[in-house]
Amino acid sequence: MADQNEIGIENRGNICILDVKGDVTSASEPFFAEAYKHPDVHGISKILVRFDKDAYINSGGIAVLIQLLAETKRNGQEIGITGLSEHFKKIFHMTGITRFADIYPSKDEALGVME
Amino acid sequence: MSNEANTRSVEIVMPTRIGYERIAMDCSASFARIWGIVAERIEDLKTAVAEACLNAMEHGNKGRPEARVVMTLQLEDASIVVQVKDEGDGIREIPPDPDIQRKIEELEPARGLGLFLIRHLMDEVELNKMTPDGHVVRMVIRLEEAAPGDGSSDRVASGQG
Repeated sequence: MADQNEIGIENRGNICILDVKGDVTSASEPFFAEAYKHPDVHGISKILVRFDKDAYINSGGIAVLIQLLAETKRNGQEIGITGLSEHFKKIFHMTGITRFADIYPSKDEALGVME
Repeated sequence: MSNEANTRSVEIVMPTRIGYERIAMDCSASFARIWGIVAERIEDLKTAVAEACLNAMEHGNKGRPEARVVMTLQLEDASIVVQVKDEGDGIREIPPDPDIQRKIEELEPARGLGLFLIRHLMDEVELNKMTPDGHVVRMVIRLEEAAPGDGSSDRVASGQG
């Protein structure tokens, strides 16, 4: 079963992009934890999380993202999110995640604002 | 039930296996598409169905693989009624809406968003409907293009057990 994520890490100046491939569920937790431990992610001031447009994100996956938001808040890091479908933009707004992370329509737009 | 009524109903039976909720999602999406639900509401339905099935597997059936989850889709008047049945004894305590600030400050667990999503995405929700062979979550999505959660028809039964 495709319950694995591949999270690419790309540095763009003072922003680190976490490129999340695959569905986001509770099974994603170790993949996010591992990515966040990477020195390029942990020590940077801004993080952009990019999801697949057609990814399945369930409440367990949203909880994993909330854990990431908690860690970035504790470490004083700014976080942005891109790649969401319109449905998941609505879900993230509904749950209040947008109070703690800005949602961008594209990676380029996110980088333009966050840089 | 008449033959005509039977053609307006689909039932799928799943073992308790995390990931199989996606089968229910796809089935409900196909059913909704056939009966003319607009694309945006189909996404709402898929998420609500996924969360109801996950709750049934994790909490109702307590992860026992042999315990079944039964999803029934039924066209009734101008609505699709979705019932997700598990072998548990209902939701003992209906959680309040999540407080994202408290979750991010790690004052409450990050998890626990499933019922919130179901209640906000469907037009009607009934929890803790007990039947002789299990606990049912009943959800309704209307065929017309209407925004959910306007508060006029939300219904959540009180907890049992």
